[in-house]
Amino acid sequence: MLMHVIHMGHDVFKANDKIAEKNKTALDKHGVFSVNVMGAIGSGKTTLIEEAVRYLKEKYRTVVIAGDVIAEMDASRFRKLGVQTIPVNTGKECHLDAKLVEKALDEIDLDNTDLLIIENVGNLICPVDFKLGEHLRVVVVSVTEGDDIILKHPMIFKTAELAVINKVDIAHAVDVDAEKMRDDILSLNPDVPVILTSKHDWESLETWISFIELGIGRAQETQRK
Amino acid sequence: MHEYSIACEIFEQVIATAEAHEAQEVRHVILKMGRLAHTNPEQLSFCFKAIAEGSIAENAEFIVEMIPPSLECECGYTGTVDETQIGKDGELQSELLEYIAALECPVCGKNARITGGRELIIKSIDIETEVEK
Repeated sequence: MLMHVIHMGHDVFKANDKIAEKNKTALDKHGVFSVNVMGAIGSGKTTLIEEAVRYLKEKYRTVVIAGDVIAEMDASRFRKLGVQTIPVNTGKECHLDAKLVEKALDEIDLDNTDLLIIENVGNLICPVDFKLGEHLRVVVVSVTEGDDIILKHPMIFKTAELAVINKVDIAHAVDVDAEKMRDDILSLNPDVPVILTSKHDWESLETWISFIELGIGRAQETQRK
Repeated sequence: MHEYSIACEIFEQVIATAEAHEAQEVRHVILKMGRLAHTNPEQLSFCFKAIAEGSIAENAEFIVEMIPPSLECECGYTGTVDETQIGKDGELQSELLEYIAALECPVCGKNARITGGRELIIKSIDIETEVEK
């Protein structure tokens, strides 16, 4: 028997990153703005997306990819709003990856799409290392998760491009200081916009929606150039 | 937990490379893992063993080299986080937080861009063959 050292240098995440880049190029070509919504189970991702879709679908051709481990509950909520919805069941996986999104893109008529919202699988850890090809990485956290949740999951907040603190209307009831949560996020990621939302406060939802609308405008402008 | 799917990917790559080199057995799999990657080396090794059962890599041992984060600042500084400083701040409660706190530029103090430390690389494998290569 002879021993050999074989050099490989194979980057496991880069394989995903490459597909993500491909996805992004396809979306850019068609001027589609895409949002990756990440956050824990019960943080309110689905509700925030519903509110955004309800408003934006009147102006922009909207498609939703609903990532979930096995169920299709979220997908049916989006379908009820009358937008194309592609459920992506990850099986035992805890995150969406670029390959799953690539497959879902095959089902979308990108020529006739302005906005693609991707709801990731509910958790604050696994989605961090997997780019999908999105233009905006959003993390949603609710006050019900406790105000130490942010420092327990630093990387998702460090790498987010928009942070949403949700359910702030019940912060007092769960004895949580939403401002402390905001400070924690900013301590990890000083440049990230942080917004506080509640589904009972339309003004706060408008702020959330305006971030997406801003992105759509930018994507369409870039495509026209 | 996503170590299982990552272990599958590592297994496929390792086996393909090992077979291409006519390996009889894979002895070691040497990985380079970023400190900021959300991957647990023990879980990864456990999953790999489960997947590799019955293959030429079933007795392979995982050797994981941890890579410190590296940064690039708009002031022009590029470099690696000084690991000797990690663990000195008693107030922070996790190693990951300490690494993230260390991502400030040591020159101007600004929050620098992460250029390394999130990767997972199969660096090399040690194999046994019957033939001289």
